Amino acid sequence: MEKTKDMIVLEQLSKSYGRKKAVDGIDLRVREGEMLALLGVNGAGKTTTIKMLCCLSTPDGGHAMINGFDTVKDKDKVKALVGISTQDTAIARNLTVEENLSFMAGITLDADKKTVKERVEQIIAEFKLEEVRRTKSSKLSGGWQRRLSIAMAIIGDPKVILLDEPTLGLDVLARRELWKAIEKIKKEHTIILTTHYMEEAEALADRIAIMIAGRIVMTGTLEELEEKTGRKGLENVFVSVAEGV
Amino acid sequence: MNRSLLFAKRNLTELSRDVLSYIFCIAFPVVMLIVMSVLNASIPKEAHMTVFRIDNLSGGILVFGQTFVMLFTAVLVATDKSTSFLMRLYASPMKSRHFIHGYIIPMLMISVVQSLVTIVSSLLIAGITGVNLKLPGLLLAVFTSLPSALMFISIGLIFGTLFNEKSAPGLCSVIISLGSFLGGVFFDAEGVGGVMYTICKCMPFIYCTKTARASIRLELDWESFGLPFVIISLTALVFMSLAIAVFRSRMKADR
Repeated sequence: MEKTKDMIVLEQLSKSYGRKKAVDGIDLRVREGEMLALLGVNGAGKTTTIKMLCCLSTPDGGHAMINGFDTVKDKDKVKALVGISTQDTAIARNLTVEENLSFMAGITLDADKKTVKERVEQIIAEFKLEEVRRTKSSKLSGGWQRRLSIAMAIIGDPKVILLDEPTLGLDVLARRELWKAIEKIKKEHTIILTTHYMEEAEALADRIAIMIAGRIVMTGTLEELEEKTGRKGLENVFVSVAEGV
Repeated sequence: MNRSLLFAKRNLTELSRDVLSYIFCIAFPVVMLIVMSVLNASIPKEAHMTVFRIDNLSGGILVFGQTFVMLFTAVLVATDKSTSFLMRLYASPMKSRHFIHGYIIPMLMISVVQSLVTIVSSLLIAGITGVNLKLPGLLLAVFTSLPSALMFISIGLIFGTLFNEKSAPGLCSVIISLGSFLGGVFFDAEGVGGVMYTICKCMPFIYCTKTARASIRLELDWESFGLPFVIISLTALVFMSLAIAVFRSRMKADR
């Protein structure tokens, strides 16, 4: 693989809620243009990590850097670099698909009307949203809502995209459709994808970080993880790692 | 376009597509004007009860309508919070001032439209019932009621920020009841006097209705208009500052 710079750097990143350590001193590096899957069961600390990366939560210890900017000291610069799609779809329900995109483009691009309009058209075409562009978001199916949510995360042309459980609750066909959309944006962005679906991490990610009880216990490509654990397939790798903790 | 205006436009669109906004913010005050006017016509003259006469009623209903704008502010903010839409925006380059402006501007616009509908309906009812209602006074009331609209919107913003979409409307209902009762919308608080009037004077609502009623009658002396207007303007400023502080602190809080 061509040597690229580290776009995301986490060093000893920690976060506690009361006595519970949600994230426990994690170290992680994600290269520019890479997609990393943060794999773990519910409550492993994946969402807390994502929230610290997009300045929604302040770390108790360590630090997180996006393209060299600290998520605590350089919040404005980090926010301009990051797009997020949360576990909930986080869309304006009474606005149409086009209006949602136009609104997000307006606040993230801070550009003139023409540029915003062009960007909206580009995203509608890329995400194949043409048939639902004038549909109210609340009337969309779960799969379309997730697709719109990701399109809203990307419309500001961020360098980094954080996808928090993007296919949670979707049926298998809707999930596969969304994978195709994610595959498309993968080439031009650095992405962290949190998921607890093994097949999703296996299908989409360049590297996988296994997170258990707030700690990243193993990182690598699927082949590297299989070699380290001596197991075949991500599910077996994950079970082996989880049982060994 | 400015981020505040973009957010204001989104909020206005969101509300304008909700049929309940029209029912509660526009139709309900008109229905109340008609119902209370019918009630007024049934009251014998010997009772000397003028609170439901259109020249008194229109000012009260104007303020009563604003309490529903408060309810819609609270529901909008609480819903944005529960659907994680606000979380997405918190992670965007939007600042707290964009959010505050974006929520307040459309609500003030809705409040002005609501006031205009109320005064047009009042004029029609005054024409039918033969009461002399002056258009300049009614138009003045639309503007002098802006501070009370701001106060109710700020209360809605506070409830929506602090509570979820189930609790916030409940709390707003309490304010709607208190506002209409202690504001003397449906009874003559000053005429009742005693402890009741003292309690009314300790709450901001009575000054909202006093300002609106004095404006409509064009009684612009200090006692009738000046003092209540100053009191409600200062109260609105206090509530708005509180709303800004609460919103900012929630925005900075860990989620």
